[in-house]
Amino acid sequence: MSGYAVEVKNLTKRFGGLIAVNEVSMSVKPGEIFSVIGPNGAGKTTFFNLLTGINKPDSGNLLLDGRDVVGLAPEQVAARGVGRTFQNIRLFGAMTVLENVLVGRYVHIRTPYPSALARTPGCRREEKKAAERSLELLDYMGIASRAGELARNLSYGEQRRLEIARALALDPRLLLLDEPAAGMNPQETEELKKLIRALRTDMDLTVVLIEHDMSMVMSISDRIVVLQFGSVIAEGLPAEIRANTKVIEAYLGSGAAAGGGAASSDPATTESRAAAGNGATGEHHA
Amino acid sequence: MTGSLKKMKTETALIAVCAADLVAFAALKVSPGFFAGIIGILALVMTGYLPVKLQAKLGSLAVLTLVFTLGFASKASGDIFFIGLIGILVVLIRTDRAPVWTKVLIGAAILLASIPFAGFKDTFLFELAIQIGIFAAMAMGLNVVVGMAGLLDMGYTAFFAIGAYTWGIFGSPQAHSFMAGHFPLNGNLMFLFMGLAVLATALTGIIIGLPALRLRGDYLAIVTLGLGEVIRVLANNMDHPVNITNGPQGITPVSRPDIGWFRSALSAIGVPLDARTDYQLFFYFLVLLVIGIVIVVNINLGKSKFGRAWVAIREDEIAARSMGIPMIKTKLYAFATGAAFSGAMGVIFAAQRTFVSPETFTMLQSTTILGMVVLGGMGSIEGAILGAASLTILNIDLLKGFSEYLNELKQGGTVIFGYHLSSLPSQLDPAKYERLVFGLVIIFMMIFRPTGLLPERRRKAEEAEDDDDIPEITETGKGGQS
Repeated sequence: MSGYAVEVKNLTKRFGGLIAVNEVSMSVKPGEIFSVIGPNGAGKTTFFNLLTGINKPDSGNLLLDGRDVVGLAPEQVAARGVGRTFQNIRLFGAMTVLENVLVGRYVHIRTPYPSALARTPGCRREEKKAAERSLELLDYMGIASRAGELARNLSYGEQRRLEIARALALDPRLLLLDEPAAGMNPQETEELKKLIRALRTDMDLTVVLIEHDMSMVMSISDRIVVLQFGSVIAEGLPAEIRANTKVIEAYLGSGAAAGGGAASSDPATTESRAAAGNGATGEHHA
Repeated sequence: MTGSLKKMKTETALIAVCAADLVAFAALKVSPGFFAGIIGILALVMTGYLPVKLQAKLGSLAVLTLVFTLGFASKASGDIFFIGLIGILVVLIRTDRAPVWTKVLIGAAILLASIPFAGFKDTFLFELAIQIGIFAAMAMGLNVVVGMAGLLDMGYTAFFAIGAYTWGIFGSPQAHSFMAGHFPLNGNLMFLFMGLAVLATALTGIIIGLPALRLRGDYLAIVTLGLGEVIRVLANNMDHPVNITNGPQGITPVSRPDIGWFRSALSAIGVPLDARTDYQLFFYFLVLLVIGIVIVVNINLGKSKFGRAWVAIREDEIAARSMGIPMIKTKLYAFATGAAFSGAMGVIFAAQRTFVSPETFTMLQSTTILGMVVLGGMGSIEGAILGAASLTILNIDLLKGFSEYLNELKQGGTVIFGYHLSSLPSQLDPAKYERLVFGLVIIFMMIFRPTGLLPERRRKAEEAEDDDDIPEITETGKGGQS
């Protein structure tokens, strides 16, 4: 056993001529909050999709809790305790909030098909247990009062919370958050930060997150890895990343590197910087 | 104030129409029963659509049930009263606020008294009710596959055929031609064979589903379309070298269960049965019973983790799988369940008709059942039943009835606007346009009410979601990567 929650070695994924993820290696310790950052098109979401089995890597190793997961289907990876959220929220819009979380509870409801047909007492018990746990999670995320609402009728922030609740319903050991703060105002982001920290201790989780909001990344992460053009260009503590010239170049373009301070703690300016970085790094991501 | 006044008025209007209907009925000797039927349907539509008090609504439904039932005793053709009774059931189901006991009471009165009464007056109506029942059960089975799980199955009759032949072959002398034993088997074994057919069709569903369910949407539709044809062609050609299905001639006679106990039980409660109606009534009740089971199973599944998994996969496969839902297995459950319902109905169909032949199991049949699900509203149980009822009535009753009526007019030498109906070419016979009308109905439904007559809550929400995809766009427009 390696003792790492996630261990990635030389992971590579090509889409036609584009190398989306190129020889990426990294390791995440249990209980860490670990961030993956990089300009748009750096391969962060592809990296998540490789971790969760949605895409198959072309080469490289992928160990979760020391066990190889390359070649497993997404549902098998999920059943091993990996919960995730999506960059573009992917809730089941026409289901209620509670039903969404119950879907996440799927692997923990032990009802054989025949007893579901007859709705046996055992089946009812399992359903009741699952509903109780789901309501607990909704309560934890502060949206229990919306349980009966259709998911699509929730506000944006509530939908983000619901997506996390649904991922938590898996009772995961590893939680992957893809841009959880996207579209949130500074106050909501602040609450989210508190929430993620609390989650880690309350639910004994390892958290890996992709985020563009630099103030959030810098303040919440134990460690950070920076991707550009699918490759790792830096890895380290937030302070180290902040001072790394390669990272500054990646975000602001080589000309602006001297300006420094890529990681101001003002989210508003960071957002515009990320956009600027995007323009500078260029055509690559189309 | 004005609102309640208006309400008073609508209620008075409703009561007036109901009363007019009763009066029309009392004066049956002078006014044809058909007239009472028309007023009754009008009252029913008013009951369904006007915002009246619950008591008025239920009261009018009860009165109309009585009127339509009495209608069968009149000289008029029973069709209109039959349709009226089905209409009452629909309104009843859609009246959410009604207490359960009233629903059960009126529903039971219609299903257990009115329709059998109609059947005794006119055995064709029994036949119609049984056909509706068989198709309703199948539509609900297909509803699990298409409506809940979102898998487009175009060859659903294949499983119906497998069920029908399972009993057809062993419940008739046919099995003699390829194996030794005492055939036909005792008719009472039909019940056992229903169970066997459920297993056989579920298994077939799994075997075919394993490769087919890896495909999506259109591809799955094409594969199942092919499967439907394969089974029909097999049934058509497996009469040599070994005669298993008796080919295009079909198999007859298929045994029916012994119903001595049923006859004596009914005569004990004062309902004497004759040879014309005994099996009809028996199969009617059997189909009702099976429908009851199918409904309960449907509801149970909808509320279980499997029902949620189907909807989740239908809505977003990637998200569903990321929540640990095994895709192929979940789809297989839906496919096999739908197949099993169809298989069980196949056995009943074979026994009720005492005849099985390949031409029943055409592609057209598959599309008709699919049409029932779509027409009624995908994913909705009451929708599947209503879809089955309307299309069956349209196919085997209304258009044929209209044809006959036209024929009578032709033979009677009727002249309309100076045109002699007798010179109407036979190509214009309405019965020949059954499929045209079916097609038009589906086209207009898709244009004006794509979610079906009685849409399921979730489908409705999905439809609305597709209309306003603004939040979707702003989101994807953001950090678009890889």
